[in-house]
Amino acid sequence: MSGVNDNMGKAVKDFLAEAEEIIDQLSLDLVGLGDCADTGDCSPELINSIFRGAHSLKGLAGMFGFAEIADLAHNLENLLDSLRLGKVTLNQVVLDVLFESMDLLGTLVRSAGADGNASEAESVSQAVARINSCVTAASSVAAPSPWAKLGLTDKVLNALTEYEEHRLLENVKKGRSIYSVCASFSLATFDQDLAELTELLKSCGEVISTLPSAGGSGRVELSIDFEILFGSDKDTAAITAMVDRENIVVIQVGGGVPSAGDQEAPVSTAEGETAPEHAGDAALTAKSFSRTVRVDIGKLDELMNIVGELVLSHSTIADIANRMRREGFSTIATDLGKSAKVLERKLTELQKGVMDIRMIPVGQLYEKMSRIVRRLSRELGKKVELKLFGADTELDKLIIEDISDPMMHIIRNAIDHGIESPAERIQAGKDEKGAIRIASYQKGNHVVIEVEDDGRGIDLEKVKRKALENGLVKSLDSLSDREALDIIFLPGFSTSETISSVSGRGVGMDVVKNNIAAVSGMVDIESRAGQGSRVIITLPITLAIIKALIIASAGRTYAIPITSVLETILVEPGDILTVERKEVIQLREITLPLLRLGEFFELAGAAEAQASCYVVVVGVAEKRLGIVVDELIGQQDLVIKSMGETFKGLRGISGAADLGDQRTILVLDAGGVINEAIRSA
Amino acid sequence: MKKILIAEDSPTMRSLLVSTIETLGAYEITEAGSGFEALRLLPRQKVDLIITDVNMPDINGLELISYVRNNNNYQNIPLFIISTESSEKDMEKGLALGANEYLVKPFNPLKLQELIRRYIG
Repeated sequence: MSGVNDNMGKAVKDFLAEAEEIIDQLSLDLVGLGDCADTGDCSPELINSIFRGAHSLKGLAGMFGFAEIADLAHNLENLLDSLRLGKVTLNQVVLDVLFESMDLLGTLVRSAGADGNASEAESVSQAVARINSCVTAASSVAAPSPWAKLGLTDKVLNALTEYEEHRLLENVKKGRSIYSVCASFSLATFDQDLAELTELLKSCGEVISTLPSAGGSGRVELSIDFEILFGSDKDTAAITAMVDRENIVVIQVGGGVPSAGDQEAPVSTAEGETAPEHAGDAALTAKSFSRTVRVDIGKLDELMNIVGELVLSHSTIADIANRMRREGFSTIATDLGKSAKVLERKLTELQKGVMDIRMIPVGQLYEKMSRIVRRLSRELGKKVELKLFGADTELDKLIIEDISDPMMHIIRNAIDHGIESPAERIQAGKDEKGAIRIASYQKGNHVVIEVEDDGRGIDLEKVKRKALENGLVKSLDSLSDREALDIIFLPGFSTSETISSVSGRGVGMDVVKNNIAAVSGMVDIESRAGQGSRVIITLPITLAIIKALIIASAGRTYAIPITSVLETILVEPGDILTVERKEVIQLREITLPLLRLGEFFELAGAAEAQASCYVVVVGVAEKRLGIVVDELIGQQDLVIKSMGETFKGLRGISGAADLGDQRTILVLDAGGVINEAIRSA
Repeated sequence: MKKILIAEDSPTMRSLLVSTIETLGAYEITEAGSGFEALRLLPRQKVDLIITDVNMPDINGLELISYVRNNNNYQNIPLFIISTESSEKDMEKGLALGANEYLVKPFNPLKLQELIRRYIG
């Protein structure tokens, strides 16, 4: 029997701990309530949250048989319920009662914890009496149903709690317009997306309720829709513009007309229903303490484009100065040259400034990841500790957004397939708690993110077997371990025997790889059987503007991002060897495969160069390739422009750029070229 | 083994529910600390019974019931609401939305056990 008692003892301790937490929060909230009661402008949300606290406390105390706490919390909950439903007006008397009761609750919980049997019965009954005097003084208002005229569906109306109905009514009374904001989100990220949307909406109105429904795609495992009921003084156009996302639709369902009979409402702050627009705006400015602004990243892109064009105009001016000098206008040329230098410096600063705005710390990504780790480890019954390093490493916001899904996949794989169950780990002589380590750091013009787990590692034999079964490789004879690991990134590869609810079967690393390649990144994997795996993601710091090496090959001009260029070397025809019908050169201790762009892009008239030529050695992550070029033209800053939907899938090309002399050239995607060249080798 | 999904934001109340059900020994329990978590857990596995609180911070129990009952994949899953009697009106709405049973906190463990057996054996 002692086991049961121990369990009970632990449960009571848990209860007391939670009760104390609730009371701490309630006390804080009450102070907030006291502050805003003076101005008569208390957020309904605050009152509702206090109500919820008392409500939880009462339910818990009842379960554990703490009658006094339950009794007091119950009466407090009644008062708060009346408050949030507008049946009682918040005034100094009510506030005093709330504070007193909260103090008493604190005392009761503490003495319960100290095992004291000192009864506070008398104080409790006095407090309860005072609470009830506040409640009974209020006349109960039978709620009319003015929202029946609103264009709300039964589905939405039926799911409103009494409190939400009350808030809807209050919003209508204040002359606010009522909107139905419909949004569709991916199931994987909806909580964050929804929180962002809610936050945005709250800045200019009140979110009344949030009703989820199955995703429009009909696949509940992928997406989820929400219908948010929202009251605001703004018009549909303003709200649509503010939300500004194509997956969100704003429809006005009613309101804007004050309802009849609102004089009865005791908690009415409506001073002038005719001019809510201005009142709302004033409240907004008064409330805004934050010194940050939200900017659409599209606007920053535009700004960056303009900076890029300015850089080009600057080159033209510098060029004019040189020409003038050659033609004998030396004094004016020197002055112009000086001004051009100043312009150049300022342009560099401007460019850096705009870039900085786009940068956010990867810590934001970490928050998401730690939530996922917590959730998955619980779902899969594994113990996982997450270690995070380099949270302040900065990356372009767009890149961070684009790699959040692939990161999630990698972490899922690590927990689902990598980390063993606690029992299995103990048997293998490891700590029963697995570890996942995410580290980010800057390496030159790249940011590297490593995700490492100390799980079972990748079973290469199994990978090879599966690859053979699925026809991904023809024979295993010449397959090195390195090549076997690369199989993981091929489409349609999976070693899972069973379909897991978490990572599914073959939620492939190929998808991860493609997503990362889309932001000019590379992904690589290392693994040691029994010791764990490490996924290494190498990303450019920004996509907006790049330094590039301009080269000519097969009569055409290309740009190669300087971040992928390791060196350029001059090669004599005799240095080029042919191994298995592929050209290679010996570069120090490694054999470097060569690629001729003319052949790669199958251009007509790509002639074999007989004379000496330049080779640009490009490398991304651990992979190297020599690109044979006819001419090295120089280095230049480029603004990469996308080639549009039609050419999106083009292998080896990441975009186009303007050279400034009315010429447009193609920008090579070094990672893509390397992969393609190595695959065909 | 039949699966029960519990949506309740108070950890203590949740563990009380869990230990009440665990005594029966025949069920696998998934815990959701919020309405959102419940939404996310639902498609992950076949759930045989849902037990939900009414007052939760993100979406409330009624909204969860509406989601479940308007969704072809889940509409036949038995669902119980648990809340205090101050939310009685909301619980009635919950029954109207399609909840099968409601329990008032502090709930009687034997009643809960009896209901679970009746609905999912």
